[in-house]
Amino acid sequence: MAIMISIPAGVLANQQTATDLASNLSNTITQTGQSINQTLTQIDCSLASSFSGFGFQAPNSTNFDRSQLGQSGQGSGTGRTFDPSQFGGGGTRGQFGGGAFGGGQASPMNQTLYNDINSSISGVVAVEPILQASEGNNETMSMFGRTFTRQITSYTIEGIPLTSDLIDNYPILTTNITAGRNLQAGDSGVVLLSENNSAYFNADVGDTIQILDQDFTVIGIHGTSSVSDQLTLYMNLSDAQSVTNNTGYITSFRVFAQNSDVVTQVARSISSLHSELTVTTGQERLTQLQTLQSTYNTALDSAQASIGQTQTTAFEEIIVVVAATSLIVLFVMLYTVRERTKEIGTLKAIGFSNSTVMGQFMLEGILLSVIAGVVGIAIGIVAAPALSSLLLPSINLFGNTAAAGFTRNVMPTAAASVNLELVLIAFGASVALGALGSLYPAWRAAKIRPAEAMKYE
Amino acid sequence: MSKPVLQIENLCKSFTLGKRDINALSNLNLQVNAGEFVAIMGPSGSGKTTLLNVIGCIDKATSGQVLLDGIDVGSMPESQLYKIRRDKMGFVFQTFNLLPYLNARENVELPMEGKIKSKTERKKRASELLAMVGLSGRENHRPQRLSAGEQQRVAIARALANNPAIILADEPTGNLDSQNKQEIIKLLANLNLTQGTTIIMVTHDSQAANHTERMLLLKDGKIVKEKEGLHLAKKNNKCPNCGSTIQMNDETCPACKKPIFSSDELFST
Ligand SMILES: Nc1ncnc2c1ncn2[C@@H]1O[C@H](COP(=O)(O)OP(=O)(O)OP(=O)(O)O)[C@@H](O)[C@H]1O
Ligand SMILES: [Mg+2]
Repeated sequence: MAIMISIPAGVLANQQTATDLASNLSNTITQTGQSINQTLTQIDCSLASSFSGFGFQAPNSTNFDRSQLGQSGQGSGTGRTFDPSQFGGGGTRGQFGGGAFGGGQASPMNQTLYNDINSSISGVVAVEPILQASEGNNETMSMFGRTFTRQITSYTIEGIPLTSDLIDNYPILTTNITAGRNLQAGDSGVVLLSENNSAYFNADVGDTIQILDQDFTVIGIHGTSSVSDQLTLYMNLSDAQSVTNNTGYITSFRVFAQNSDVVTQVARSISSLHSELTVTTGQERLTQLQTLQSTYNTALDSAQASIGQTQTTAFEEIIVVVAATSLIVLFVMLYTVRERTKEIGTLKAIGFSNSTVMGQFMLEGILLSVIAGVVGIAIGIVAAPALSSLLLPSINLFGNTAAAGFTRNVMPTAAASVNLELVLIAFGASVALGALGSLYPAWRAAKIRPAEAMKYE
Repeated sequence: MSKPVLQIENLCKSFTLGKRDINALSNLNLQVNAGEFVAIMGPSGSGKTTLLNVIGCIDKATSGQVLLDGIDVGSMPESQLYKIRRDKMGFVFQTFNLLPYLNARENVELPMEGKIKSKTERKKRASELLAMVGLSGRENHRPQRLSAGEQQRVAIARALANNPAIILADEPTGNLDSQNKQEIIKLLANLNLTQGTTIIMVTHDSQAANHTERMLLLKDGKIVKEKEGLHLAKKNNKCPNCGSTIQMNDETCPACKKPIFSSDELFST
């Protein structure tokens, strides 16, 4: 019977998980919003999905699958309430693919085709070409009889041009360095890892690691400044192009406008010059983010309401189960006493007092609820996590398609653990009620006449 | 010189069934001395079990007096009576009534629980009693592993647990075959001889009754007839078959060479 207690207890435990989740994501959104605010002069450009492959001539790819370029973000649909492709990374790195939110439709494009942006559009002060590629593998998992395949990103390579002109004047580097040093102009053969990368490669500052069969020296470690860069390692663009066998290709570029007044005009000019591009200004991304934030908040509110509802139900269940315990003990013990009338009569005939008989049967009733409780809790601890996640569909707000990197690194484990304290309280209560339930049967046992021993069936 | 262990005067017991009163016992008088082996016989419904229940303090008399060891049990409340049952009485049932989930020794220990504090002492005494009824080595066997006769021996050992003033046996051989019946009667007779245990035994079996020293015939709740049994002769060191002098522990009569308690003519069925 305690299995019936453990499951709702697991559900209750999940509430904490959901709360953690909520605050975690709130922080992230706020953080990302702040960084976007600072970079309103930036315009992100990548190939629109319908132009995938535009200007792309497949080079002889031997050791790297070009189809993986920029594909770590998995959302592509429009009109979804939670479309990761809309959630660009802001002023920090990794807008185009990489993290869960950094998806988008980054396709390889020929770098030379976009040289005209700097030269022929007024108001453009700099262009930063970017190559982003993810390495990972598919993971298949079975849950509740269904099979899900999700892509697990191991790491994302982001190549950025390490020229002093760009580095000195534009925020193209991540700023949060936790060990070693940041990338510098002219760096080559070196790599800046995220903390996740560092763990993945089991490498620290000064170590040499192999990326796609080439050696790189770890120059520094960066902390995360947005959800999108947790798996991103940074290197020189030319290194990235050669190591992924993509020389001459990029997946996106970022245009820096003279000032925030001309941003919209510049973006319009880019669009008209290169209609195949998706052009997103910082302002637009901020608006998208705000839309997303409100969508998310609405979803979170309803999730919390639903969790609250489940919690109430879980509490009610516990009360019902605890009450049921005493009823079960009552009936089992009444049956036992009836079945053992002759035995009880014998005990009384050979000199057992009423109180001894009564105590004996109380003890049996309590033992019954204890055993049932222990067994039930054991089963419940095993079953509760699985069952309670079934009971809590809203926990899966982000769905299985919320990419792996995100699930792994940001989202607290959504599987419920059993709330031990609550189980113990419920267990204690059910044992106490079990004792109460055996009170009447035990009294009935004490009242059995010893002459019953004389009867024979 | 033997003193009365049980004195019953004008005992009446009636049951009310609906509007009808059934007089199970009416104005019954009986005295049993310490060390006597008594058989109560009588047709079905004559009140044998009722009488045993009243003597054993598991039922109350409607009127009359029951003195056990001089104590008037009729006026005792239940809070005292269980001690009389525990300390002064030993019950042997037709259906043995052993607790199936306890082994032989634990069954024998049961009545001692409220009386002997030390567990080791209880164990020791239970083992001694089981040896006395011929079951050494079977202490750890549960009832289901014992034959019917062996189960009844365990029950007799249990009845002896607290050294009772009276053993009350209701049809102790009723569920046994003739071989086991003989052995149980012999065991009771021996206990009576060697331990001086007072035994009151209800039986339908006249041959079993014959092996007691005193047979009472009950009819309509009254004792209507009384007769001496063969056991009395043995107690008086006389062979029940030929009347010549025998010794207490003789199995066969030195004169007529007949077995003293299990002669074929007595247990031929
Ligand atoms: N609890 C009771 N309620 C009503 N009547 C009873 C009760 N117990 C015994 N009687 C009646 O009292 C009478 C004597 O019954 P008792 O059981 O003493 O007979 P018995 O001599 O032991 O018979 P048997 O040889 O069949 O065991 C019977 O008429 C019986 O129906
Ligand atoms: Mg009877």
